[in-house]
Amino acid sequence: MFAIVDCNNFYCSCERVFKPALAKRPVIVLSNNDGCAISRSEEAKSLGIAMAAPAFMMRDLIEKHDVAVFSSNYTLYGDMSSRIMETLYSFVPKIELYSIDEAFLDLQEMGHSDLLRLGFSIRKTIGKNIGIPVSIGIGATKTLAKMANRYAKKNYREAAVFWAANSVLTDEMLSATPVGEIWGIGNQHALHLSRSGFKTAADFVHAPEDWVRKNFSVVGLRLLYELRGVPSIPWEETKPARQNICTSRSFGSRLAEKTSIAEAMANYAAACAAKLRTDKTCCRSLQVFIQTNPHKTEESQYLRSINIDLDRASNHSGEIIKAALRGLDIIFKPGYRYMKCGVTAIDLVPESSVQASCFDGADHLKSRLVMQTVDRINKSLGKEIVRSAVQGFERSYRLKAEHLSPRYTTRMSDILKIQI
Amino acid sequence: MELLYYETPVAAGFPSPALDYLEERIDLSRELIRHPLSTFIVECTGDSMMGAFIPPKARLLVDRSLNPVNGNIVVAVLNGEFTVKFIRKNDHTCWLVPANSKYPEIKISAEMDMQVWGVVTHIITDTEDLRKCMR
Repeated sequence: MFAIVDCNNFYCSCERVFKPALAKRPVIVLSNNDGCAISRSEEAKSLGIAMAAPAFMMRDLIEKHDVAVFSSNYTLYGDMSSRIMETLYSFVPKIELYSIDEAFLDLQEMGHSDLLRLGFSIRKTIGKNIGIPVSIGIGATKTLAKMANRYAKKNYREAAVFWAANSVLTDEMLSATPVGEIWGIGNQHALHLSRSGFKTAADFVHAPEDWVRKNFSVVGLRLLYELRGVPSIPWEETKPARQNICTSRSFGSRLAEKTSIAEAMANYAAACAAKLRTDKTCCRSLQVFIQTNPHKTEESQYLRSINIDLDRASNHSGEIIKAALRGLDIIFKPGYRYMKCGVTAIDLVPESSVQASCFDGADHLKSRLVMQTVDRINKSLGKEIVRSAVQGFERSYRLKAEHLSPRYTTRMSDILKIQI
Repeated sequence: MELLYYETPVAAGFPSPALDYLEERIDLSRELIRHPLSTFIVECTGDSMMGAFIPPKARLLVDRSLNPVNGNIVVAVLNGEFTVKFIRKNDHTCWLVPANSKYPEIKISAEMDMQVWGVVTHIITDTEDLRKCMR
């Protein structure tokens, strides 16, 4: 049996832990740059605020119903997430971190007989210890667990745990699941299925295998097996190493000045280098790009990217920034209002097997020590306390985050203040 | 061909006699925080808990995983607002009790919305601030 633990409206729930006055108020969290709603409390959902609804279109609704609005505070959500995931390890040794707010648990090895009770216990512990409500689905496969979780949310809101423990319960659950709601089914396939007379997941379970393979390839067949209770999706405890690392972001407002764009580019390059160091990889090549806003059709458009090869694979902030700015020098053209730039590290190699270059007299031991020290300082004193001068302080490119909550759990200056 | 090379220098010389006896230096946060996953740090302002040696600006370690028992100092949420008080309870009633005679005890009635957010396990304050509690 597998379980999925899913944090309810995770970002909103994180904000509520530190602002209990919001317990019954509608809450939304906005995407990067305060663009659109990416997490909504139940109250916000029932007001009719849609997922990905642009913030400026909701202004009246927000004012009228006193909706609490937050910019996304990924530092906080990341820490709350890791507290939850680590807590899950105290219940089950095999866990697959599926996303920031979801994890699959492999319940096969454990001697638990009453999985429903285990589910309740997990829900109670996470709710009490960390303050985040979770819902849990349990089933014979990952897909059935996913479906059980959906069913729990819809029909057992209070308990928030559903175990498709036998064929009767599994059938009850699948009969209540329209084909479009099956985990991992695309819109096209859902449409195709319903046109062929399959209304619910329970109908689909009885589809002939040959027909499924012919119409939906092996992916569809795998789904069919999963719904029939035969595990067919591999278990991925550790995510495969990244093939490339991209850091790019839209600017808070459009930029024309090269110096501002260079500052942004340097910061993205530095972030990229830091990610490489975390992964213990180096890159041999960088792809650098800038672009205008394609939605502003009345403005002249420009988009260009270029690959810059490094002399020697590197994850050194200074070298990555230098290469990124060399790229920008080549592709930047004055006279446009740019919306976005970015850096992608490609052609990655493990840090331990970097090829030395014959014509390279640099002291790599020293520079590696410098980077390690910088990482250590920044980790304990705050992000980018130590950085290259080109990264600047101006940050005119900075994203809008006007409703950002404090980083309650990672910064001493931001901890919860209580008037007693 | 990929060549591995070593960047770490090898130091030679007389080895320290303490080498076999080295231990990790004491890590206070490990000593003070029994349940790091459910422990949060908060900062107080106000004087209602001076008698319990919680001066303004004190930092509290709050463990959410503990069940509050009679006499614990707790972070409570009372009608949506945070507070820090002693909790006193019997079979029928529960009170939030300040440690300063200037403030009244709060008897929790049925229409109040009170939840314990976590149990205070440690008070961190410097001795200068602490002197305010001694007056």
